[in-house]
Amino acid sequence: MATNVATAGGEVQVTNLVNYTLVKLHVAMGLIFFIIVGLMGFLYSLQLDGIYPFPGIEFLSAGRVRMIHTAGAAYGFLVNMFTGLLYWAVPRFTGYKVFNEKYLGGFMFIGLQAAVLITVVAILFLGMADNVEWGETPWWLDPIIVAWLLLHAIQFGAPIIKASQKAPLYVTGWYISAMLVWTPLVVFMGNFIPRFWSAGSGAGAVQSTFIHDLVGLYVTPVAWGLMYYFVPVIMKKPMWSHGLSLLGFWGLAFFYPLNGVHHYLWSPIPMFAQYSAVFATVAIEFAVTSVLINFMMTLRGSAEVLKYNVPLRYMYTGAIFYWITCFQCAFHVTLTFQKVIHFTDWVTGHAHLIMFGTFGMWVLGMAEYVWPRLFGKETMYSKGMSEGAYWLLTIGVIAMFVDLTAAGLVQGFDWIGLNPWIDSVNFSKPFWYFRSVTGIMMLTGLLMYAMNFYKTATAGKGLEAQLRESA
Amino acid sequence: MGKMERFPFIVLVAGLLFFLFADFVSWALPMFVLKDIPMKKVSDLAAEAKAKNTSAWADFERLAASYPEQFKKYYGEVNEESFAKALKIGHRWYVAEGCWNCHSQMVRPVSNETLRFGIPGVSNTVSYPSEFQNELQAPVLWGTKRIGPDLIREAAVHNIDWQVAHLYNPESTSPGTNMPGYPWFFEKDEKGNIVPNERGIGLLTYIMWLGSWEVKPTKEWALK
Ligand code: HEC
Ligand code: HEM
Repeated sequence: MATNVATAGGEVQVTNLVNYTLVKLHVAMGLIFFIIVGLMGFLYSLQLDGIYPFPGIEFLSAGRVRMIHTAGAAYGFLVNMFTGLLYWAVPRFTGYKVFNEKYLGGFMFIGLQAAVLITVVAILFLGMADNVEWGETPWWLDPIIVAWLLLHAIQFGAPIIKASQKAPLYVTGWYISAMLVWTPLVVFMGNFIPRFWSAGSGAGAVQSTFIHDLVGLYVTPVAWGLMYYFVPVIMKKPMWSHGLSLLGFWGLAFFYPLNGVHHYLWSPIPMFAQYSAVFATVAIEFAVTSVLINFMMTLRGSAEVLKYNVPLRYMYTGAIFYWITCFQCAFHVTLTFQKVIHFTDWVTGHAHLIMFGTFGMWVLGMAEYVWPRLFGKETMYSKGMSEGAYWLLTIGVIAMFVDLTAAGLVQGFDWIGLNPWIDSVNFSKPFWYFRSVTGIMMLTGLLMYAMNFYKTATAGKGLEAQLRESA
Repeated sequence: MGKMERFPFIVLVAGLLFFLFADFVSWALPMFVLKDIPMKKVSDLAAEAKAKNTSAWADFERLAASYPEQFKKYYGEVNEESFAKALKIGHRWYVAEGCWNCHSQMVRPVSNETLRFGIPGVSNTVSYPSEFQNELQAPVLWGTKRIGPDLIREAAVHNIDWQVAHLYNPESTSPGTNMPGYPWFFEKDEKGNIVPNERGIGLLTYIMWLGSWEVKPTKEWALK
């Protein structure tokens, strides 16, 4: 994008490395999907409460809504948000533009929204879904998603390759490079192998690897990569330790993909695969801890910034949730804990702490950092809304996590106790009601956040216009 | 250290090598261990149900007898082909309705699950690989969440009439349940009775097929 800037010597044209339109579009769509996805989750939680508002309507069948919730979270919310933020970060840390903004960028944007829309229509109206959790997209759509991911690799790979020829890459570059290769492989593996090249236990092994790898080899590397970019930029100082950055990256790269089978412990998958997954999971704790120590030590001496800088606060709050999730994981990955908590709401609590509490908070923080800059504003429209949204989301997700963890323990022990099944439903109802309340809190927070975005984009004049006027 | 921080090294080692190694450990090796288990197609499953005259076959016959008009219209005669068709349709809607988000299909060897989901005198086995080695378990339907009970031994739990009533309106058989009703798997017959339609018959056949291979000897239905 080129802008004309007035200087003492007349107007000069400045070319921007970043295409603002693409960032704006993706981030805005990501935010819209975030709200839709939250609404779908909330709707489904009403089904569990037994007060579903649309019983007997086929296309609003609760089970279908639930699949929109998970598939929408992956492709509608996270992929949009991350792509938008990559359009901001990649050109900036490499110093090169992405492969092609106008045609490839536009095509990718439209393609992604179309894929999500087709998924929604297929699942809600055509009854076509795929029983791969997080890959509920109908299987005939998956080749298109893989193709999209290959384009995505070209789009962001091009500037990274150029930069890499000149000098070693910055940490963000490592994560993004590896992710660009992993993601198409993961989506291909998770959606095709269990359908066409295996069944039963073999398929289960691949599917669990897919659930895990989509988190571990797409969401996590993009999110960490972006964190390594945004945190030092906001704090205006380098990361504390380069050695820990290396350790974290290579630890993730080696151990994360080996983790998958821990989703199906005590299953008919051969035991050696289950044990190796448990072992790799404990190993990944160390990698994660090294990354978190690095971020915490970077904060040292600058913690004051958290008081007034909401984006940075989102990032560090997310980091703390990350640590809690991983700490929890060290326990429940053991075969002993699995006896009680597998199949219960404990797992759902864990999923939301990491997906909403960590990755959700991180992208919200990053988006709030770039958004005013995209529109040439100095700050977000309202500090109050900014703070309000932060606290609603934070308290909401903590409450949801604590509630679901407790519910999971109740359910697990109740099932072991061989009480009639309906007892566990009845015992869980108070927890499920409370979860719906936390859902309302989180949704309110999101709406407030989105309102602030809208106002920032539309209200008032940008800095550039103000400068022109005063000149 | 310079090389390690460049694109080609990262992509080759982290991107490809580590990924393939992980797939080898968590997919190829288990597949190798399991490779001698024969893979069954839906037609094989139907042939097996008929040959062994399992409870699923008896339930299918009972559906045909109870809803002759609908059965004739959508499935024709009771035979292997129509049974296979019903299983396929049932499986498709089990997936499409997200039943697998509330119901698992796996009995674990821990937490008293064989007691809870096994039926005394009928089956108390944990899940084993070969019962999943078929076309209807690709992708596998183990699930990750239980709001309702496990269904892999469902054949021995309730009779088909209970299942019909439950699928239409779960509250009618299980007061306090939060399972949604599925009225769109039903239609009105000539006399105005509510009866399962094509999808309904398929889904009911599929549910009653789950675990029928464990039900020995074929159960006797107490007709009420
Ligand atoms: C919102 C969660 C939910 C969904 C979705 C759901 N169920 Fe259920 N299901 C339950 C609960 C809870 C019970 C236990 C209480 C009862 O009998 O209704 C149950 C019970 C059952 C039972 C009886 C199990 C037994 O052994 O007593 C069957 C069979 C069943 N469901 C089939 C299905 C099918 C088929 C679908 C999809 C069309 C489905 N369920 C979707 C929650 C759900
Ligand atoms: C407004 C906030 C949200 C609410 C109220 C909500 C609610 C729910 C509910 C009710 C379920 C079903 C749990 C079950 O089967 O028992 C669920 C599952 C899930 N949600 Fe959310 N959700 C929210 C936000 C999110 C976000 C933002 C993400 C991801 C980025 C997410 C990811 C998931 C995942 C991965 C699951 C599957 C968990 C499992 O299998 O146990 N959710 N959510």
